[in-house]
Amino acid sequence: MTGNVLGLGIGIAALGVGIGLGLIGYGAMGGMARQPEAIGKLQVNMLIALAFVELVFLLTVFIVPGSLR
Amino acid sequence: MEVWIGTSTSWLAAAGEHGGKEHHGPGFWGLVFYIGLVLAILFGLMSFAKTGLKSRVFTKPTLFGLPVLGAFEQIYLFIEQLCVGTIGAHGRKYVVMIMVFWMLVFFSNLVALFFPTAPTADLSFNLGLALVSIGYVQWEGIKANGLFGHFRHFAGPKLGGMLILISLIIFVIEIISELMKNVSLSLRLYGNIDGGHRAADAMNELGKNIIPLGGDTGLSIPIGAFLMPIKLLTCVVQAMIFCLLTCVYLSLVTHHEDEHHEEGHGQPVPAGAH
Repeated sequence: MTGNVLGLGIGIAALGVGIGLGLIGYGAMGGMARQPEAIGKLQVNMLIALAFVELVFLLTVFIVPGSLR
Repeated sequence: MEVWIGTSTSWLAAAGEHGGKEHHGPGFWGLVFYIGLVLAILFGLMSFAKTGLKSRVFTKPTLFGLPVLGAFEQIYLFIEQLCVGTIGAHGRKYVVMIMVFWMLVFFSNLVALFFPTAPTADLSFNLGLALVSIGYVQWEGIKANGLFGHFRHFAGPKLGGMLILISLIIFVIEIISELMKNVSLSLRLYGNIDGGHRAADAMNELGKNIIPLGGDTGLSIPIGAFLMPIKLLTCVVQAMIFCLLTCVYLSLVTHHEDEHHEEGHGQPVPAGAH
């Protein structure tokens, strides 16, 4: 039973993080298209935001299975 | 159904570092070997790139047609732009440390493309890197603001009267978040590189199960190889993010109040800017 719950939970986490990453990409792409001269700054900030959102999923994957055991 | 539950728990257990027979990181002597490999690659390339520097007519040395020195120049320019863009005009003095981090992380990640494991696929190596990085940030903060000024920086804005209790709470929370920076830096790198390995492993298993070429011999199409381009992208991006976050932390602790005044007049305006 735990296997089911954990798999579902990780799936939900991946869903949310995917939506978050998509939103960041959406915002950054829109900004870059509107202001091509700001691409450098936007890319750097986008990567920072991507890293932080990605960390949420990594924390889920590495910490939740251990704490539920 | 039973089978599915069984496999899924074992996979999750593997992700949670408590799996049974699966290998987790290279182990101590494996780590020594891989770090030695990375250092040998780095020092070899750099000593090779250094050969042309003293000759009268400057020629960039190439190795098998690859411009080694040119690559190092490009890395330097990239890191310099990263530092100056993130930290500000005084960020140029941190280029050395950030470049060391970038090259160490990047070449360790590159090893992950060709070998079964890599230094950065081991949590202890990443934690060491993160400790060095955050320790360096604290050292630079103490150098910039003084010991007392650096620790007062943790307590947030100046509050009077009974609100000093809030400052105390903020201080404790800031110290915890400073310690958590180690965890976040190391876990991000470890998760990405080791996750890449696990993904490639899973894809290879998929190929073995779907298209068994050799029957009993276990010959199969290595579908995981198709993950190589995206793993290469991950290598570059993770090395860059590690350095970028170190830069951001540095810019947070070495932030001066007169920074805006300096920036307004110190930066030369590009010709194309309007």
